[in-house]
Amino acid sequence: MKPVAFEHATAATLDEARALLTTGAKPMAGGQSLGPMLNLRLVRPERLVDIKRVPGLRGFTETETHLTLGAATTHAEIEDGRVPDVTNGLMRHVAGGIAYRAVRNRGTLGGSLAHADPAADWPSVMAALGATILTSGGRRLPADGFLRAPFTTALEPGEIITAVEIPRQPPGARWGYCKINRKIGEFAKAIGIATPTRLLAGAVEGPPTLLDRVEDIPARLPWLDPAAQRLAAIAVTRAQAMRDS
Amino acid sequence: MITLTVNGEARDIAAPARTHLADALREHCGLTGTHLGCEQGVCGACTVLVDGQPMRSCLIYAHEAAGMEVTTIEGLDEDPVAAALRDAFNRHHALQCGYCTPGMMVTARDIVTRLGAVDEDRIRAELAGNLCRCTGYRGIVRAIAEVAATRPALPAPAPRPVVAAPAAPPPVAVAPAAALTNRLEHAETLALAPDAAWAILSDPARAVACLPGARLLHREGEAIAGEIRVALGPLAARFAGEGTLRFDAATRTGELRGRGAEGANAAEGEVIWRVEPDGEGSRLHLDIGWRLTGPLAQFSRPSLVRGVVAGLAADFARNLEGAARGQAPPPAPGLWSLLRRLVRGWFSRRA
Repeated sequence: MKPVAFEHATAATLDEARALLTTGAKPMAGGQSLGPMLNLRLVRPERLVDIKRVPGLRGFTETETHLTLGAATTHAEIEDGRVPDVTNGLMRHVAGGIAYRAVRNRGTLGGSLAHADPAADWPSVMAALGATILTSGGRRLPADGFLRAPFTTALEPGEIITAVEIPRQPPGARWGYCKINRKIGEFAKAIGIATPTRLLAGAVEGPPTLLDRVEDIPARLPWLDPAAQRLAAIAVTRAQAMRDS
Repeated sequence: MITLTVNGEARDIAAPARTHLADALREHCGLTGTHLGCEQGVCGACTVLVDGQPMRSCLIYAHEAAGMEVTTIEGLDEDPVAAALRDAFNRHHALQCGYCTPGMMVTARDIVTRLGAVDEDRIRAELAGNLCRCTGYRGIVRAIAEVAATRPALPAPAPRPVVAAPAAPPPVAVAPAAALTNRLEHAETLALAPDAAWAILSDPARAVACLPGARLLHREGEAIAGEIRVALGPLAARFAGEGTLRFDAATRTGELRGRGAEGANAAEGEVIWRVEPDGEGSRLHLDIGWRLTGPLAQFSRPSLVRGVVAGLAADFARNLEGAARGQAPPPAPGLWSLLRRLVRGWFSRRA
């Protein structure tokens, strides 16, 4: 199916993006999640604002404590190690498991976070890593809590993600990641993440949720039906086992 | 007017902004080797090279591709890797109807050039984004493996933690056969006596007023017509529909069955509600069944629908309690109506 008629605008600067993102406009980076929704006419914007060429949304800076990745960094760039990894391989592993290579070549880290599909990988991973999301409004938003409800984030109207600040994991710090889906590249049915200090259940139809113990899942995810709670518990248990093996 | 390079040749394309690259290639450049299957990024038939990288041409708009270099299957005639793959595809019976083949060739070429000699498991994983309905993939995998084996392997990747075996979802109990493909049950506690709750629930005008986004348009006997607007972030839909409404006061049970449409999307469904005493108050049980057809169904994510229904039901219950106290439907919106207000007109003019 074809999308509704819309106007296409390319923002060359952040100020231009701000000016173009008026009522009825939708920002787009890689468009790999938004594209299907547009083509199915589930989303019908009046204007699409292409933000991926805005300077500052690409590239990275590295300090002793953090890596700051531009929001328009693609999944494939992370998968291939074309940007530094400060997570002992966790982010490269996750990136390689997102959708398909043709999608990873175009889809972006910031776009995935802003789209806020609970089944996506990055909202869960960034919450588990304690990352910080930097925005065009000059705000610093903790990744934990950024996804408020399906497809709904802490961003204000017209505000876009510019970069993600990822804390450097200690050398040798182990991790585990388990994504349950029916077929490679499909939407996740459950995501479990284990870092040295945190457990997280993701793809839970709502915000990714940090846990102290796997047993807390029924109490912390009361909106999930029992079968989905079991799936979340399996994912977190496997992630824990992978970390500790 | 936009300009892009297609198979080494500069092309000026005058196409509306909503034209995706695949349509621009097929309709405006006459390059029909790029095939369209699903137009939602799943089937892989439209995969082309953009600046040398495989991408879905159905998920890039032509205007985004301005200034980029696009290579389609037609542009791979002289490419040596593609030539080796064509030969191997031929010998291993790696195509039958040929519909998926242009996308398969682009992906196969990427596997061979990017990964070198890789094993069958990796080839199958990399091929997950290209669907073939004829061959069963065996011939395709063999053809790619043969060509890949002649390529030097890339340097070994950095060591990674041991990867756990991929987890399969646990077996799902077989649901009883039902005409409606999706079902869910939901219960809300009401701080209202059963009779007080029923007084509102058995009055369609008052009950509908408690449901965020819903409007009752017409009622005559059991026949009822109305509409509901639902929004979830950038997703927004307004379903208008008609159906039948029945009540049984003795069991405090109501039934609404109906169908509705929104553009190319159609929905049919039923809601059965029942009020039971629960301590000082009561308990509202909802049993909901639905079936969607059209694009929305292709995107159907029943688990997300569950979340929406739970949110709507909670708002409905609170509004019902308010209505029993004589309050108008809330000026202070609940979470879900707040979200709807937030995204109204921002993401979608239909919201």
